[in-house]
Amino acid sequence: MIRLLRVAVWLLGAALLAGCSGLKTYPDTSPKNLFVKTEASSGSAFARVRVAVHIHQVDANCRAEYLGTVQLNESSVQIGIPVDRLSFLEFSFFSSSFLGGSSGTIHYTTLLRPRAGHTYDASARYAEGIYHVVIRESDPRQRAGREIERRGLDECGRRG
Amino acid sequence: MTMPFARTLAAATVLLSGCVTQHPQNAEEFRKVAPGAFMIKVETHEINRSMREIGATFRKRAPECLNMRVTTTSQAPGSYQVIVSAYTPTVVVTDERAELHLQRHHEKGVLAVTKEPEGGYYLIVADAYPVDAKRSRLQIIGPSKGYDVIYRAIMGWATGKNLGCPDLTKTG
Repeated sequence: MIRLLRVAVWLLGAALLAGCSGLKTYPDTSPKNLFVKTEASSGSAFARVRVAVHIHQVDANCRAEYLGTVQLNESSVQIGIPVDRLSFLEFSFFSSSFLGGSSGTIHYTTLLRPRAGHTYDASARYAEGIYHVVIRESDPRQRAGREIERRGLDECGRRG
Repeated sequence: MTMPFARTLAAATVLLSGCVTQHPQNAEEFRKVAPGAFMIKVETHEINRSMREIGATFRKRAPECLNMRVTTTSQAPGSYQVIVSAYTPTVVVTDERAELHLQRHHEKGVLAVTKEPEGGYYLIVADAYPVDAKRSRLQIIGPSKGYDVIYRAIMGWATGKNLGCPDLTKTG
């Protein structure tokens, strides 16, 4: 009985925390076209880094609407981003220290308009305080891909 | 009872203000004043890239990686601190050198005690000088502790070996 009560309290706490964070799972319904490889190391046994990508859709007035989050806990994750529509991707690196009680989140953001028939390979790396996100576009009919230039939300009016 | 406290406070204020009366208001003042100051270091490295190449990498990476607002929180028993810092990088490339200035303005959590230049106090100034057509001398002036990630990022950009961004929540 006590064990059951403990589980119930734990589940309630987890549910409350999930609700408070404001994050929701991305409704990953589009065909998979974004392949994310993640490597994250804090460089310390007393700290950890968690990586996630928050996906927003961008409307014709350049307003971003949060759709959901994909936790990049696995080294390789596939995500479906709607093609021929502008999306705003926000990679977040959350680091926390067990000893100092300090934490912080750093973000890498970019606009992306996936093209039909193309795939996108993203690399999200974090090592000892240095992070790097690169997104490459590939056309299966051609060998060479190209690196997607980072674009802020303020550049949403520019076609690309 | 309040007078001794007021006198002590006044004395402490005078002593503290004597420590730092004015912060550098531009990069040139920072170059002159900072070396030799308490908790400031000057690093010099020889880089196997031209000054122009280093300047081009600074131009590409500094705005992407350093122009941002960062929120950090610290928790300890009985205290909870939130600091919001806005970082502003400036890159200047001339025939003489490629410069990267980094300024920081605390928007929340830390008081500015002296006159702050537009964009915030100067935190780091990195200058690449040409040695010859293919080599440069990089000088970085900045805090001696707590900013290792920024130094490593600047070195990565200068050498071209690591174009990653520093996690600015890991500073200070």
